[in-house]
Amino acid sequence: MIELINVSKRFGDTEVLQGITARVERGEIFAVIGPSGAGKSTLLRLINLLDSPDGGEIQINGIDIHKKKDQHLRIRRMMGMVFQKPAAFNSTVYENIAVGLRFRGVDEEVIREKVRDVLDMVGLSGYEERRARTLSGGEMQRVALARVMVIEPEILLMDEPTANLDPVSVEKIEELVLRINRDLGTTIVISTHDMYQGQRLAHRIGVLMDGVFAQVGTPREIFTVPASREVARFVGIENIIDGVVVAGGNGRSAVDVGGTLIQVVSPFARGEDVCLCIRSEDLQIAPVDGRVSASDGNSFPGTVMSITPRGPFSRVTVDCGFALSSILSWKVVDGLDIREGSRVIVSFAPEAVHVVRATRG
Amino acid sequence: MRRRTLFVAAAFMVAFMLICGCIGTAPSDTPAAAEKQQLRIATTTSLYDTKLLDRLSAMFEEEYDAEVLIISAGTGKAIEYGQRGDVDVLMVHDRAREDAFLADGYGINRRVFAYNYFIVVGPESDPAGIKGMEPEEAFTVIREKGMAGDADVVFVSRGDASGTHSKEQAIWKAAGFNYSSDIQGSGDWYQEAGTGMGATLMMANEKQAYTLSDIGTYLAYKGDLTLVPLVDEGDVLLNVYSVMQINPEKYPDINSAIAKDWINFMISDDVQDVIASFGVDEYGQPLFYAARDGWEKIGVPQAEVKDPVL
Amino acid sequence: MYEIIEGFLEAIRLIVMLDPDVMAISARSIIISFTATIFATLIAVPLGAAINLGTFPGKKSLINLIQTLYALPTVIVGLLIFLLLSRAGPFGFLRLLFTPTAMIIAQTVLILPIMTGLTISALSGVDPVIKDTLRSLGATRLQFLVNVMKEARFAILATVAVGFGRAISEVGAAILVGGNIMASSFRSSTRVLTTAISLETSMGNIPKSIALGIILLVIALGVNLVITTIQHR
Repeated sequence: MIELINVSKRFGDTEVLQGITARVERGEIFAVIGPSGAGKSTLLRLINLLDSPDGGEIQINGIDIHKKKDQHLRIRRMMGMVFQKPAAFNSTVYENIAVGLRFRGVDEEVIREKVRDVLDMVGLSGYEERRARTLSGGEMQRVALARVMVIEPEILLMDEPTANLDPVSVEKIEELVLRINRDLGTTIVISTHDMYQGQRLAHRIGVLMDGVFAQVGTPREIFTVPASREVARFVGIENIIDGVVVAGGNGRSAVDVGGTLIQVVSPFARGEDVCLCIRSEDLQIAPVDGRVSASDGNSFPGTVMSITPRGPFSRVTVDCGFALSSILSWKVVDGLDIREGSRVIVSFAPEAVHVVRATRG
Repeated sequence: MRRRTLFVAAAFMVAFMLICGCIGTAPSDTPAAAEKQQLRIATTTSLYDTKLLDRLSAMFEEEYDAEVLIISAGTGKAIEYGQRGDVDVLMVHDRAREDAFLADGYGINRRVFAYNYFIVVGPESDPAGIKGMEPEEAFTVIREKGMAGDADVVFVSRGDASGTHSKEQAIWKAAGFNYSSDIQGSGDWYQEAGTGMGATLMMANEKQAYTLSDIGTYLAYKGDLTLVPLVDEGDVLLNVYSVMQINPEKYPDINSAIAKDWINFMISDDVQDVIASFGVDEYGQPLFYAARDGWEKIGVPQAEVKDPVL
Repeated sequence: MYEIIEGFLEAIRLIVMLDPDVMAISARSIIISFTATIFATLIAVPLGAAINLGTFPGKKSLINLIQTLYALPTVIVGLLIFLLLSRAGPFGFLRLLFTPTAMIIAQTVLILPIMTGLTISALSGVDPVIKDTLRSLGATRLQFLVNVMKEARFAILATVAVGFGRAISEVGAAILVGGNIMASSFRSSTRVLTTAISLETSMGNIPKSIALGIILLVIALGVNLVITTIQHR
């Protein structure tokens, strides 16, 4: 439905987008995730025709939307966009939501009906006569969503719609996004810097980094097999270790990390610089005299460097010549009787290690 | 619905205001309605400030079913308005500049309708001691004392190129001074007000200074002033008011007919009687003398005070 | 001191007794300045909107120029309009000099820059997200313009009030192009509050000056009150 072909955009000297290529299918929720300033907003604005690209093209249903100046209005009216900052016109909720329909010359009677329905959908029934500016941020954002949905867009663009909201409001908006997509079949492109939100909502995710999609894939792919060190870091993989492949074959390799060999499953050939990504939950920590389970796995003795609390868990970092961090519950930490300076053994299976090429691309 | 009603109401209001504005302010000489004729007069301030013109214009409006618009300015400004064709009639008191104005073809049909005298007024204490002197002598003394640094001796000049200002310059000249080099800017004692007669008198009163005034304005303002007349005799003090119209050959859309009516009205017996008696009730003496009988004293041909213009 | 108190009491009497002269001058002042404000609004608001929302080379310099013109001295405007409308000037044939219309023209010209400038500020004060939202909702250029102005309506209203306040309290241009005429008919007269105060004071008619001054003050303060109320919404 939306085809991004090598889209680039420059603001002054900074190249915000440097060649975005991706395809958003009809009826899917596509999340653009990436750190702040990666160009997520810019990309959505380009799709919404609020800005023009400096290079490449954006096609919707096969039409290069920035080419056809005379069709801008028609194309834009297929879409709706919700912005990061909840913004309401200085009028009643009813008037706020009616604006788009007014632009399209819809009869007042129809407007009234549609506004009522859409308010019902976003859970703000009876708010018609309230002054929109007096609402809370979350309510305002739901009004913004209603304002867009009342025009029944084929494509819904949402630019970090929950960035400024409290957790309860976030949940409500997310629920609405899923419902709109499920019930109305609306194609949704949502940007977020919250990878978990991307995971919760999206069918597919594009990870936008330094002006390009570092990876496009299902949430599962992104989280388990990140395409690069940067993606790995962004999706929250705790342990990313640089090394060189020293022996390989049959999909098994040994990677040299500062003199220690780590067994991994990877297709990379000998001599290649790689990054090893290990999720903290895949690490086991045992007392130094305990048994090490996996005989063919990786086991490294080390010293506990730090134990930092993290919600109901503790993050335990162990120095085994390279740092490895694991997330353990308080109970486990107590049971292991470890503290800073304790000697422990850290072990993990070779399959738990995701190997990516060290240099990007 | 409520909103729409409001909007319509607002639109109506704006339209209404616009109509009001236009009707209330349209140039009244548009031929659309059966408008009264308008006569625009630029006058020297002394005639206006004494309220003589208010009286006369009311008479004229009634008699001729016309509307008189009076722009009060100094003679200099009035002549400027005349040269630009912005008025129909001038009423001024500066013989020399009037002559030039007529000679340049801007004005025609001059008639003299009144005269009186200028007076030198000053504080009762008379710090320069000019009481009873000849005007030229008095001016010389004021200048001397002022230049000598006597802080109490100040002369306030109209300084606005009016008829009175012209007269003042003429007196300085008669006293043997070059106005621009000897008087203007010669010291703090000589101050130019740049405003009308009434305002200049008020200013001189505030500063307890000397000034030259026409007798009419002085009398009209006397109630608000502590200044007293100190010099009131001397041929040079004669003050002659004349009226003339703007030459329609220069500005064809000048309202020539009504301008002529005004000039003839000014020299008519009725008006001459009004002029001769104006202010007697209030000030105990007339502010002006009718020109009708004084043409010899003024030094103009009889025709210039008596003969109606055609 | 005595003069001020006495003048003040007499002024109150003139106002309370609805002195016809004072009332006529006040009404004329309001009508002339109100009309000028309407004309200026009709020009300045669309102009300001076009400048604010348009993109063209020299836009910044134009806005700077407009802001510089805020300081346009009123007598300069008066002189300019005088020269244009004088019979010897290019528009002399209209016979507008020394009429209320001339004063309306002068006041309109006088308040145009500040009203245009303030309109521009009012519109640029509208949250860019609001503007994006309008465009995103599929507004045509006109719909966009109307709705942005709707958002800025209080600021624009304040602009109108500023313009009116300026017009009615102006004296230099009014006296130059109006001539301070007190004619027998209301509509031919050009004496307004400011020029009347100037004249009456110079004629030593202090009570009347004070009465007119009080009225002018009340109007000016009233306008300011409106502005403040609007801005606090």
